[in-house]
Amino acid sequence: MSRKVCIVGGATTPFDYGPTGFESIEGGAAECIKETQQDVPEFSLRDLDLMIYSHFSVHFSHQLAPEWIIHDHLGLVGLPHYRVENGGNTGGSALYAAALAVMSGHHDVVGIVGWETMDSVSQSQGSEFIAMASDIRYELLVGGIYPIYYAAMANKWMKENHVTEEDVAIIAAKNKNNAMDNPKAQWYRNDHRYITVDDVMSSRLISYPIKKYDCCLMSRGVAFVLVCTEEYAKKVNPDQYVTIDGMGLSSCTIRAGDRLNNPTWNEHYGPGYPGMTEFAACRNSAEQAYKMAGIKDPLKDIDFGEIHDAFSTSEAQIYKALGLADEKTIAKFIRDERTSMQGDIPMNPGGGLLGYGHPVGATGLMSTVECYYQLAGMIPKKHLSKKTEVSEPECGIVNSHAGTGTSISNFILRRH
Amino acid sequence: MTMTVSLNSKKDRFADQPNFSEKKDYRPADVKEKGLVFVGHEISDDRTAMNQFLHYDQLYTIRHGWNSKFFIGLLEGKIMGTRCPKCGDSWVPVRSHCWNLDCNLEKTEWVEMPLTAKVHTWTVAGWSGRSSLKRLPIILAYANIGTSKVAMANELHKMNPWDVEFGMPLKIVFKPRDQRVGAVTDFHFEPADFWKPSPMNPEKQRIKDLVMPVYEWVKTLK
Repeated sequence: MSRKVCIVGGATTPFDYGPTGFESIEGGAAECIKETQQDVPEFSLRDLDLMIYSHFSVHFSHQLAPEWIIHDHLGLVGLPHYRVENGGNTGGSALYAAALAVMSGHHDVVGIVGWETMDSVSQSQGSEFIAMASDIRYELLVGGIYPIYYAAMANKWMKENHVTEEDVAIIAAKNKNNAMDNPKAQWYRNDHRYITVDDVMSSRLISYPIKKYDCCLMSRGVAFVLVCTEEYAKKVNPDQYVTIDGMGLSSCTIRAGDRLNNPTWNEHYGPGYPGMTEFAACRNSAEQAYKMAGIKDPLKDIDFGEIHDAFSTSEAQIYKALGLADEKTIAKFIRDERTSMQGDIPMNPGGGLLGYGHPVGATGLMSTVECYYQLAGMIPKKHLSKKTEVSEPECGIVNSHAGTGTSISNFILRRH
Repeated sequence: MTMTVSLNSKKDRFADQPNFSEKKDYRPADVKEKGLVFVGHEISDDRTAMNQFLHYDQLYTIRHGWNSKFFIGLLEGKIMGTRCPKCGDSWVPVRSHCWNLDCNLEKTEWVEMPLTAKVHTWTVAGWSGRSSLKRLPIILAYANIGTSKVAMANELHKMNPWDVEFGMPLKIVFKPRDQRVGAVTDFHFEPADFWKPSPMNPEKQRIKDLVMPVYEWVKTLK
């Protein structure tokens, strides 16, 4: 019988493009841990018995093994450490690794530090760096950036599911406006304005049907999550810990075009699925997480989520992959604003990637931290108002997503 | 032009080495390899923050190995795919081993594909990576080439961005032989000769409205 895994604390630096106030990655990591200690005074660095580092691309820092800089800066010499890298799902995968470490009984208190410094190159160069996780022999040269691949997938998905540009613009405005209640969010710190569906519709073309405000933000940022046994959680923070009751990790092809007629998916989900439109790895990892957590009806059993809205279109596609709606109901599900703060399953109350920002290695951890804050009742302390607090949540979902849907993880968190 | 490969039979090696006698260098004059060069810095007025500018330039060798015939094919104006002799599935982009778990990594065989394709899905890009900005707007199509089970991404030329249709028939057009470099950019898609666009409709007008400013913006790029 594996052990229960808990999250007992966590924090992020402000996310930004340019200086955040913490002028180095190791400085940012130290400040995240100090903020966690303000919330959990009993947590000492001496309690850690494993550190997992969550970082996507060494291209941005021009530094191989940059985790070694952070680790020794934190004074943790002697402690085992390694880095997890799994594209946009790096944070989710690091959380998965930390949970496995605790479940196995080999480690009790595991720290995860994630970061990305995407402002070390120009925006267009940064887009191209990220796109080097697409197949450079076939796709990088002709597409060049992820929004184009996602737009091609979304264009067909929206047609097939009767979802319009205006529908996904509702999602874009929702997340950016949620971020206006979050002082660490990049949208709050930089653009700092509430936007409407019309603003999204009239923003410049990135790749049809995706426009500028349908896209997440390129960021600098650091995040920390503290994962542990229930015994340790009860010792240091008995009133504010959550359990990871379910988790799943799944994979799909690197090139989106290779999903057509894939024999393994056809065997698993029947012919025609996922095509180039559905996120099979999201559906598959959610099914694993739901089974483990005993979730029968996600729409009823889950109260809210922090999910990987790299694009407004992908958030819509993720709703469907998570089983919140199907082909017939998805358009109405979005139009009824079921995922707004007033809806029955708010999504990305923290702002998501569209509003909080997307410093890749820190992103999945940011989603985890926001989900933890909601479940631990810490939103009034962390956000500017109660506007973005989910009402008495018991169960949240964290979703982390990579490539063109190439690696996806889902976690079910419950309050205690 | 054909590539000659002869096996090196020197006795002091324990593995046969290919010999590369066809070599081409088309490095632009402004692409230099300097390695690590600090090219500047800036310091904030309160002298608490410093940013340093590091330039790094490095030549990579992409060794295509068992996939080489596809890229050599591009130089020759051919689209080479692969096919599993067991289950018959075929692919462009190529796979050197079959993807079907029942075929247990069966080694595939080469097949030359016809220069025709069909659009699976598409988008019109108004923004891209640094290397592509001046080519905007770009129609990117994912299309099945010949008998390929999978769709391959490439640019679609010679048509208005707002006229693209799902399922439309395409032809594959190569650059002139002397401009090819053995990369996927050696070819692009164009509408099949017999294809005609459908009349203007609201969605096409929407795409046109989104794309027109992109043409203007590209003119401002240096």
